[in-house]
Amino acid sequence: MSDEEKQSAEVSEAAGEIVEAGRVSKWLTEQGFDHEVLEPDHLGVEMIKVAPEFLIPFSTALYAYGFNYLQCQGAYDIGPGDGLVSFYHLIKLEDSGDRPEEVRLKVFLPRENPKLPSVYWIWKSADWQERESYDMYGIVYEGHPNLKRLLMPEDWVGWPLRKDYISPDFYELQDAY
Amino acid sequence: MVLNMGPHHPSMHGVLRLIVTLDGEDVVDCEPVIGYLHRGMEKIAENRTNIMFIPYVSRWDYAAGMFNEAITVNAPEQLADIEVPKRASYIRVIMLELNRIANHLLWLGPFLADVGAQTPFFYIFREREMIYDLWEAATGMRLINNNYFRIGGVAADLPYGWIDKCLDFCDYFLPKVDEYERLITNNPIFRRRIEGIGTVTRDEAINWGLSGPMLRGSGVKWDLRKVDHYECYDDFDWEVQWETAGDCMARYLVRIREMRESVKITRQACDMLPGGPYENLEAKRMADGPKSEWNDFDYQFMGKKIPPTFKIPAGEHYVRMETGKGELGVFIIGDDNIFPWRFKIRPPDFNNLQVLPHLLRGVKVADIMAILGSIDIIMGSVDR
Repeated sequence: MSDEEKQSAEVSEAAGEIVEAGRVSKWLTEQGFDHEVLEPDHLGVEMIKVAPEFLIPFSTALYAYGFNYLQCQGAYDIGPGDGLVSFYHLIKLEDSGDRPEEVRLKVFLPRENPKLPSVYWIWKSADWQERESYDMYGIVYEGHPNLKRLLMPEDWVGWPLRKDYISPDFYELQDAY
Repeated sequence: MVLNMGPHHPSMHGVLRLIVTLDGEDVVDCEPVIGYLHRGMEKIAENRTNIMFIPYVSRWDYAAGMFNEAITVNAPEQLADIEVPKRASYIRVIMLELNRIANHLLWLGPFLADVGAQTPFFYIFREREMIYDLWEAATGMRLINNNYFRIGGVAADLPYGWIDKCLDFCDYFLPKVDEYERLITNNPIFRRRIEGIGTVTRDEAINWGLSGPMLRGSGVKWDLRKVDHYECYDDFDWEVQWETAGDCMARYLVRIREMRESVKITRQACDMLPGGPYENLEAKRMADGPKSEWNDFDYQFMGKKIPPTFKIPAGEHYVRMETGKGELGVFIIGDDNIFPWRFKIRPPDFNNLQVLPHLLRGVKVADIMAILGSIDIIMGSVDR
């Protein structure tokens, strides 16, 4: 067991229980990719915490490992005053697949100036999905070829899906009638 | 020359805007502009209970309302480990497969109109009406807003005689698919128009995150109904349809064959429906009183039993299903509240449409419509 795994076990012990590293996580540790394991999600999909600066090496490694399909990229807000998360749901797509391996990478970012590299150059499907995350949460994906607002108007101010977002003119317009 | 197409253009399938850079007849580059139908569905979901939110979701992909309802219901249902009775699962599958047919029909008509044939539009409406009549009988609504799926089941039992009518539809519909094929598939104008254009290779399809007929048309045998084994699709005998050419024709063929497969599944589900396909369970329940065996778990699937204040347990996961367009997924985070903390929708056509500029580079202007049509987009789902 490497130091990192011990470390991550300690971290999760502090949170209440020990999280056992899954297959993907073990493989990553074997290859020398130090990371923190998060508790698997409800369906048992492994979750791995990745630091923003290591996202690209991790992604390339996992791509080489066989995760050829970025199924879902999105972001969420942990809570007002807390940070943001950009997640990547990866799956091994193959012919006549039957419950193939899945993994979810999570990058935790600060609310102020959230920045991380784009995975567009590995999985092209990140194109619009990262733009949407930028549009909704203001997360800057560095290296994305065309990072601008996708669904909201180009001149929109604010990041609508953040929990501390206030809809402009919402009550004012109602009062006017 | 820079040419603007849409958002108000009859063949833009709603409100898609393309900014196309042309060199004579050739497309040099293209930039899709979306968001004209954005209503903030994910934000809306964050302060709606599941019961409140279901009527909204038909407006994502308004050609496939049932799929949206199904995934909206599946996400919290699986997070709370709620078991679905067999009968409800069968009814869901019947509805979803009917919807797949309706979806492919509503793709076929406009696609053929895009490449210059108006007639099939009228044919597909003729058949689609039958599906809507079936839905009207079971759910009270025709195109969208069926509001039929509930956590743990469906909202109401099938009315008496519905299964008969559904089987009648299957008998009626299969020859109609042959009729479309006779009219369209080997039509030389049609074939010359769409063969060999909009080609996506297998690697590109995977890398661009395509799904559904777009992926299967490029030679990937991948269907979430087989991959994930959700609902009761394992009970039926059916095949994944796929093609290797990767062009518009391949996608057309995949969709036509999928309609046949859907009829196959629907027919089997009708025959095997637990609780007896020809029985009027509601009447039996009323006659037998509350102790009736037809009130057992397997037959009791009235989703109304889920309280409107159903709390989504803490946790997160990503659920997905195969719709007519591809993979529809929902990433849900619950925090033991009646509202989900995050409800991320992964629409199939949003991800399929990304590849459009890549497909359009180097083709002729006239092919834009054919390639766009073959992707099968509904802007309500792209923009949400």
